[in-house]
Amino acid sequence: MKILVYVLVIIHLVSCNKDSFTEELLLKPLYANKLYSHFQFTTKWDVDATSDSMFHTNLFPRAISEIVVRHNIQELHISLTAGLWRYETWGYPVVDAAPGAEVWAWFNPDTENVDKNWKELANSLSGLLCASLNFIDSTNSINPEISLRNSGVVQGQVNNTFLRYSSLPREIVCTENLTPWKKLLPCSSKAGIASLLNAGYIHNTQYHSVGIMFRPICADKACTRKAVELQQTVSLVYDYKMLGNRQWTLRRLFGQGIMNACPLAKESSIYVDLSNDDKFDLEPYPHEYITAYRGGYETTYAKYDIKRIKPMSIAASYEGKEIINVNIPPPLYASQYKTGFGQQNGGIITKLYNNHWADLNVVVLQNFPWYVPIYLHTMKIESNGNILQPTVLKYKPGKLREKAHYLEIGLRLPPKSTISISIDFDYVFLKWQEYPPDANHGFYIGSAIISAMLPLAKNYTGIPQDGSTIADSFNASRSGYLVQIRTETMIITLPTPDFSMPYNVICLACTVVALAFGPLHNITTKRLILKVTTKKKLSEKLKSFFKK
Amino acid sequence: MTMSRKNLLLTYSLAVGVRYLFLHSDFQKDIVNRIEIQTPLNSFKRVVEGRYRMSLGIDPYESDSLHVPPLHLTFYTFLIDNFPNYLPYIFMLIDLLTGHCLYTFARRYMLKLYIKQEKNKHTYAEDALSQLLEGRDLYLPPQYALVVFLFNPYTIFNSAAMTTTTVNNLLLSLFFVGIIYDNLVISLAAMTLSTLQSFYPVIMIAPLYLTVYKRKESHLQACLTLFIYALSVIGIIYISGIIYNGYQFLDQTYGFILKVPDQQPNVGVFWYFFMEMFEHFRLLFLFSYQMNVTVLYFLPLTFKFREDPPLLAACFVTLIAIFKSYPSIGDFALSLALLPCWKHLYSCMQQVFISSVTIVITTALAPILWDLWIFWGTANANFFFGATLAFVTAHIFLVTDISFAYTKREYLLKYGNCRQINGKDAKLVLE
Repeated sequence: MKILVYVLVIIHLVSCNKDSFTEELLLKPLYANKLYSHFQFTTKWDVDATSDSMFHTNLFPRAISEIVVRHNIQELHISLTAGLWRYETWGYPVVDAAPGAEVWAWFNPDTENVDKNWKELANSLSGLLCASLNFIDSTNSINPEISLRNSGVVQGQVNNTFLRYSSLPREIVCTENLTPWKKLLPCSSKAGIASLLNAGYIHNTQYHSVGIMFRPICADKACTRKAVELQQTVSLVYDYKMLGNRQWTLRRLFGQGIMNACPLAKESSIYVDLSNDDKFDLEPYPHEYITAYRGGYETTYAKYDIKRIKPMSIAASYEGKEIINVNIPPPLYASQYKTGFGQQNGGIITKLYNNHWADLNVVVLQNFPWYVPIYLHTMKIESNGNILQPTVLKYKPGKLREKAHYLEIGLRLPPKSTISISIDFDYVFLKWQEYPPDANHGFYIGSAIISAMLPLAKNYTGIPQDGSTIADSFNASRSGYLVQIRTETMIITLPTPDFSMPYNVICLACTVVALAFGPLHNITTKRLILKVTTKKKLSEKLKSFFKK
Repeated sequence: MTMSRKNLLLTYSLAVGVRYLFLHSDFQKDIVNRIEIQTPLNSFKRVVEGRYRMSLGIDPYESDSLHVPPLHLTFYTFLIDNFPNYLPYIFMLIDLLTGHCLYTFARRYMLKLYIKQEKNKHTYAEDALSQLLEGRDLYLPPQYALVVFLFNPYTIFNSAAMTTTTVNNLLLSLFFVGIIYDNLVISLAAMTLSTLQSFYPVIMIAPLYLTVYKRKESHLQACLTLFIYALSVIGIIYISGIIYNGYQFLDQTYGFILKVPDQQPNVGVFWYFFMEMFEHFRLLFLFSYQMNVTVLYFLPLTFKFREDPPLLAACFVTLIAIFKSYPSIGDFALSLALLPCWKHLYSCMQQVFISSVTIVITTALAPILWDLWIFWGTANANFFFGATLAFVTAHIFLVTDISFAYTKREYLLKYGNCRQINGKDAKLVLE
């Protein structure tokens, strides 16, 4: 009888855990012989994120729920990226990410000490993902006012004092980050689409980015019950040249075909974007063709339902000659570079390109580390030779060794224009112990983030804010499409002292001080008097010297 | 006989001409941005930045870009707002005013020296005639002072870069005029404003005290003057605090001067020393260095030069320029321009040649070594440090030489040139 009760309780508990897991893979050929593959793993769970029931996890990774509850987190975004997403030729990715590590989090409004929680969160994440996120602290964090909005559901007023953003452009992303990331998945990498993630293959790509996003969502349409959602993503860009030729197969991309779906997944699908001009055939034949209309553009996808297949590998075979099209860049893209030579004064130029036929409203977020003291009055915004006035300007000056400089510029970009934002900075001289071990490697300046709501969905693959899977992005026409473009990171080499010299410098400088002190001391404390000089011959002098 | 009005006018117009030519030359931009001229403390670019931030509603003292006190910031803001196109010319004018102040000071100082000499002539030794001032010493040194100041490349670069040192030099030269004419109002005002800007002129209380004491023969009056000085400094700081909603500017102005957080190289000895300092010794050496420039020589030199407050003030100006935390060549321009006033000491000085040659060589060498380090990457910090070290040493030699010459001249006036005791050869020694 007792056993029966236990069994009933367990069945009840399991059925009460209203959580679901979806795994998806999107394969999309890009311009210039590239293949974009995006893995999207979404776990939804009807639970109150602030309550203790967060700890009774089923599909949701317990490590994340512990971090969320302990640090009082409302929303969390992490990305670990190697390589730069080339917006100009590749269009927009599903998830934008800056080179290196990038973390931003919203804390619940009842958080007492946000900076402390932020520091602790960074340390926890550092342990969780084996990344150097522990270098994040108040000296390299900012809380932007406009650019980074909540992507989840929010109750009440939004207050950016509970937001923290930090990027570590120097972070090198590799297998040691991917392995712990895979362990957060319900099936780990043992089954399902995640089994394609073989470190040996994915780190050979031109661009790879691992991401985690946690946010609160609504459990139903009326938003009466709260739920949480965890999106785990991997974005890879393969170069056909590195693969040998453009006839790609799953085996060639990932080292193996797909064996089965994750048994815990509600849905498990692979989508292949077929809307490229350069046509190819797919083998085996897809289960379904989906035609999606979004923001004025039509896209055709081939869908494979992994739940219905036997072990297989998808192969694309191009027929005929390669078609090389003219690159039509997306409506908005940006780049950033450093000007000046030498190590005295320099400048940073951020270039924005608006290819759209109408005005575009954008917000540029720049996060300069404390060792890049900028002169705001030198900021010049030019658009095709004309001076452009910012619509909004938010600036919080940084402080040497304490605080980063944060700058947010709202701009209305004229149609078909190139806009350059230039700003001057000074090279600072640090104390010798403040230089990293490889001092001449240089110091990094993180990416600028350019946020815009694009009016059309050209080259756009992002998931809408109300959706959580790739399938949700089909036919998802909205009034605007949010892009957050990341620019290049930069490296500056600060002038270095001679690290082997501390003793010499201290001795020499003190000698100079003594050169002043000695004579002045003599002159001021002694009197001039006449004294008889007894002139000795050299031989006598020598004699007296040796007698001593 | 003084410099004729025509000659004076000619000198000033020449000075303006040189500055105008330099202002419109191609290499003006390259030169004014050099670290020998601009330090974090006196850079005009930072003042412009502070004003710009204020116009955006950001506290200019929140960051560490501005180190000018509120009163001076208000003055510069006024200048920038009202005469944005004439700023270089205003700084040119400030330079001319400084030159004229120095000229006025030197004229009066030489006259006073001469009067004193005539008064005490009977007490001097018979063979000390060579040490005495002649008639032409009354008008030549002031002309030299004027020319040395106005045509010194240090001054020209300094005012072309529009550094706040230009204004500070005017204040200090006004102070000199004030003490030589016994004008308390001018000297007090100049000293207060100068102290507010760069803190170190606080040690000028010694020459001020001596001047007042010599005139009024009363310690009480002298102390009262210092009290007024202290009161006005504190009063202005207090009012600035009220206007600027808080006293965070103290940390950015005087805190910045005293704690030396920015290691940008300059012509002094501080920058590399504190760049290479071990962290646990930093505070010790910070204290030692700040005491070295403020209190260490304060009393000894005051006692030594109690008869000659302007010379004391000049020694202090040189020592401040040498040992202050962020020196620039503008500071040295003033101390060099005062040199002609010590013409009567020249015959007793011993290292003038070595010092001046070293100054010339290092002035030419430092920018080259800096370029090799920062722009071409073929040298390192040690090269530039070596040059600044030699530069500073030369100035130290100059100031110690003047102090020693003063002592020696006093001796010679009293005892004459005789170098024999009871027929035996003897020599002068400090004992």
